[in-house]
Amino acid sequence: MSLPILVLSGIEKRFGGVQALRGVDFTLSAGEIHVLLGENGAGKSTLMSIISGAAQPDHGAMSLDGAPVNFQTPRDAHAAGIVMIPQELDLVPGLDIAANLFLGHEQLTGIRTLARSRMMREAHELLRRAGVSLDPALLVSSLRMGERQLVAIAKALAAEARILILDEPTAALSATEAEYLFGTVRELRARGVGIIYISHRLEEVPRIADRVTVMRDGGVVGEAAPDAPQAELVRMLVGKDFKDLFPPRAGLLGEPILNLVHARFVPLVDRAGWQAPQDVSLTVHEGEIVGLSGLMGAGRTELLSALYGFEARGRWVGRVEIGGRPVKLGSVATARRAGMAYVTDDRRGTGLVLGQSVARNIVMSTLPRVTPWGLASASREQAEVSAALSRFDVRPRVPSTRVVNLSGGNQQKVVFAKELLSGPHLLLLDEPTRGVDVGAKAEIYRQLRDLASAGLGVLVASSELPELLGLCDRIIVMHGGITVASFDAGVSEETLRRYSLGEVQAA
Amino acid sequence: MSGATEENPAPVAATAPRPRKHPLSYLIRFQSLLGLILVVVGGIIFSPRRHGHILFLGPENIANIVRSISETGILALGMTFVIIAAGIDLSVGAVLGLSSVLTAALLVNQGWGLATTLPLVVVVATLFGLMQGYLSTRLRIQAFIVTLAGLQAARGLALIASDNTFININYGHGPGSAPPAFAILGERLFGDTFPVATLVFLALAIVATFLLNQTRYGRYVFAVGGNERAARLSGIPVRWIKISVYGLSGLCAGIAGIVHAGQFSFGSPNDGSGYELSAIAAVVIGGTDLFGGAGSMIGTIAGAVMLGALANILQLNDVSAAMQLLATGAIIVLAAGLQTLVGGRDGSSR
Repeated sequence: MSLPILVLSGIEKRFGGVQALRGVDFTLSAGEIHVLLGENGAGKSTLMSIISGAAQPDHGAMSLDGAPVNFQTPRDAHAAGIVMIPQELDLVPGLDIAANLFLGHEQLTGIRTLARSRMMREAHELLRRAGVSLDPALLVSSLRMGERQLVAIAKALAAEARILILDEPTAALSATEAEYLFGTVRELRARGVGIIYISHRLEEVPRIADRVTVMRDGGVVGEAAPDAPQAELVRMLVGKDFKDLFPPRAGLLGEPILNLVHARFVPLVDRAGWQAPQDVSLTVHEGEIVGLSGLMGAGRTELLSALYGFEARGRWVGRVEIGGRPVKLGSVATARRAGMAYVTDDRRGTGLVLGQSVARNIVMSTLPRVTPWGLASASREQAEVSAALSRFDVRPRVPSTRVVNLSGGNQQKVVFAKELLSGPHLLLLDEPTRGVDVGAKAEIYRQLRDLASAGLGVLVASSELPELLGLCDRIIVMHGGITVASFDAGVSEETLRRYSLGEVQAA
Repeated sequence: MSGATEENPAPVAATAPRPRKHPLSYLIRFQSLLGLILVVVGGIIFSPRRHGHILFLGPENIANIVRSISETGILALGMTFVIIAAGIDLSVGAVLGLSSVLTAALLVNQGWGLATTLPLVVVVATLFGLMQGYLSTRLRIQAFIVTLAGLQAARGLALIASDNTFININYGHGPGSAPPAFAILGERLFGDTFPVATLVFLALAIVATFLLNQTRYGRYVFAVGGNERAARLSGIPVRWIKISVYGLSGLCAGIAGIVHAGQFSFGSPNDGSGYELSAIAAVVIGGTDLFGGAGSMIGTIAGAVMLGALANILQLNDVSAAMQLLATGAIIVLAAGLQTLVGGRDGSSR
């Protein structure tokens, strides 16, 4: 590997009373993918904003190609070939790909009109160089998340980027899209671009990294081997053992709550890419946490939303029983009457009213209880909210805080509080720890186990196998909308993966 | 952008201090009241005087102000529900016109009594609103389009109901005249000072404030406007709420139309045009977010009074009609600008 192109040494940065970075050293070589891991608040973002010119260090030095640099603005860093691709892509959805690639530096003809055909041609070339086969005349709004991500990378190439910073690029991508992105990133590495890759997804690390640096509490904990086991990465990230993240299983099961026997969901309208549950058999008991495993598109999310009747219109056929009695599910109202609650994977989109207060959000699903005879009762509301805040340890414990100002982990706690306040018997969870750092994950696992011990049944869909293996009492594998196998805790990742791929069919 | 949450570790203490508020955020909170105070102070300063009396504060003038805002004020009450639920209702001015014509036609041409006419007019206006809400949620057409179409349709109905003319209301007994009791809407109470129309507005304002702030229904409206999907997931009857706010808006427009007919003693199919914009202006000046999910009824009421007082000062000073329009436009932009300037809702979070 060549000499480092970017060298940071002894970087310190303080925001008010918070020491965000305490003497960080960091290097990046050309043609290298350097993965940066760290919990929320570890200092990754601050470090990146210093590299990309959005913030200036209090102490320490930064050099590019051996020459000291001191970026005052993002524009300076950009001019030096450092481009950061933020999570919220700065693309204009209503314009086509070519127009986005040339946004702000459009090419003009002699009479100062847009040189459309020339820009199209060059856009085509840029996309090809980024390893993307998309027509530059397509509107960005017609692209999927993963394709937009690739366009953003092509845009960085258009700016002659030598150092590319990717901030959790796969957070919103499906597995296939993520795979495609990895291809493009490797392609860029081969062209000599230095890449800093920030991620929360530990399982990505061995597939993409040349080098791994772990940060904690504003400092660098150390480097890890690219193929280090996840358990070791977790230990570096949080300073705790991986298995300690998961609470012990309780083991006492009560009566069955949800029972599906060869159940099938017939949607009112068929939607492309929506894998309706075809043949589902499963049971969730009181006190049990059941995991749903399977590849992207196996129908995990669809099963949950069809059970809850949320954005899934249609009817169930086959045996569907709640608490031992057959029920007709299909609308949110019936699902809630049957004692279900649902927390989707899209916290901000479906879980919370971001602009409103924590209190308003928490009582949202239990309004009838705090509004006797339809009239708001401040005292009841206050009692419910303060009980929920302390039970779920939401910080800060101030009911009037607007949800948008909370951290991701605390927002997730508010969603849980809201759903559990209605006293459900069965909790449906979709990717409960997506976008949540390891420390907050452990907290969520502990709470789920506590709730289960109190008699709640939990059905949780997750794409992270270690999470399912650590948390669940039983794991059910889905493939093509069908439950293909069911395993007790202790099954190997390898087995789950084989069943998920549909290589083995259970008897 | 994740930077904000990433690098601000959650406060550790269980009783963390309340996050510090931007000093200007208080200005937002009381923006409409503040504006109202400014307009009133300005009115006192710039008011013409006669025999040492400030004309602006004269009982006669105050009565004029509160009377002038009663109709658009009533419309604004209903509009507040619609806008908090993230909708818009452009039809209210036309529905007001339709209701005034219908009232006049039934009382004068058909010789109906008040006990049958008034409820029927209110029901028709409410149904008209509900239908718009139904169409917009059922067919998933934007409320802007549905109520724009509703505006045209209501005008058409008004022309049919009035046979394309202006209907004068004469009071008296017997055919061709309306019951004298109806004239009370144009009168004043308490020694000829307080307009009855304003009393209707005040009564409705109290009911609307109560409904929005003190009932489950009000909470539902806020939740639906704040995040429709989250509301649905929480088991809130989202579609019914979205339909019902248009019903409320229609109801208000119906009552405003009756007040209009009573105040002016006639029904004209073209009356009330442009009122929807004054109502929306009052709501927005009152600090309600056009994107839904945030707002206040008190703000709307203050916004309506402020617009009325402003128009009044300009009239007292013999400012031309053209300048009055310009000044009103400037005030609306100022109010809306203040809202986004101080980031009433974290701009980027949407």
